[in-house]
Amino acid sequence: MATPAAIRPSLGAALHHVCGSTRRIAVTPSVVQTAAISTTASLLKRHKYPGARDNRDHSKHRGESAIRRTGTRWRLSVSDEPLPKPVPLKDLPPVETDPDHGLWEFFPDRVTVAAVPEEDAKHGRGWSVEELRKKSWDDLHRLWWVCCKERNRLATGEWERRKQKLGYGEAEAAKRDDEVKVTMRGIKHVLTERQYVWEDALKLAEDDPEINLSGDGNPVFAPSEFLEEVEELEETVEEMQREGFKEGAGETKQLSSNVAGSVDAAETTSTNSDQGAARLRQGV
Amino acid sequence: MQPTRVLQGLRYRKLRLTTKDVNKGFYKGTGTGSMGRHTNKGGYIIEWSKVRTYVVPSLEGFKLTPFVSKNVRKLYGHYDDAEGPRSPSAYLARWKSENGFD
Repeated sequence: MATPAAIRPSLGAALHHVCGSTRRIAVTPSVVQTAAISTTASLLKRHKYPGARDNRDHSKHRGESAIRRTGTRWRLSVSDEPLPKPVPLKDLPPVETDPDHGLWEFFPDRVTVAAVPEEDAKHGRGWSVEELRKKSWDDLHRLWWVCCKERNRLATGEWERRKQKLGYGEAEAAKRDDEVKVTMRGIKHVLTERQYVWEDALKLAEDDPEINLSGDGNPVFAPSEFLEEVEELEETVEEMQREGFKEGAGETKQLSSNVAGSVDAAETTSTNSDQGAARLRQGV
Repeated sequence: MQPTRVLQGLRYRKLRLTTKDVNKGFYKGTGTGSMGRHTNKGGYIIEWSKVRTYVVPSLEGFKLTPFVSKNVRKLYGHYDDAEGPRSPSAYLARWKSENGFD
């Protein structure tokens, strides 16, 4: 029985009272026979003999549940104190989020958690090393972090797709990730290459008569032939920029011939025509 | 710090010890790298030059993406030197023409 003996009404006592009253009313002196039920006083005492087995409920907190909000089995001293009622979930105020938080960049946008495979498939190819060689340190540095963020976004999408069993999308995301990794690999290659070339060039510069690496305040580069033609060179460069590189080979040959008179012909003509050609290829 | 080689050698290869095995004398790292040095009193001093920091530049107004259009074909650079992009003489000459004067 759930209710303990302490607060269970003593039905035996009540019945006894009733029996007593009936006895008073009855005319005949005969005793009214009532059947003994389990809560009759006599039967309630059946387990009170010496040697009776222990019949009590040893679990004092039987049926109490905080989750189901049953309350306590007995009244406590604090039972009458007013307790705050929990606010239902739908009445809670909305969670305030910072719209500019950096963590938002792990997702494609504020609503989606993983990009749709159709969107993930819309990408080009990774940068080639030759294209990256043209870029400055700052550009390569920022491009690296753009690639990092893209990979983080793809990884978050993959995680969410697996966690929530959202379905297909892994193959497209993997292909996109591969292209990003190609770009990142290229960036690393270019920077390593530049470092090695710089070290080798430094070694070469120690033996160069035109270059002064002593740090004595004199200019580092003191060319053997002074560049009177520098102004001419600048003019031709401006002309080229204005005309927009319409003539290809002819212009570069002109430029190289101008440069030939100023600095070491053998070395720079090749690199300048290279640069000119490179600029043309860029489509500028 | 290197993992204790003795217990990773020939006869112990089948055991595949983890960081939790063996009472003492066996060290196996987790691949995070050395961040400092141990003191002889049992402490550890962090060497901040060894600790990795990430320098993230501002991406404000940066238009480049990790991808290049597939319509743009990959081109290979033409270099006069046999060493190509690794040629120090070409690098030096380019430096002289572009960056020689401050």
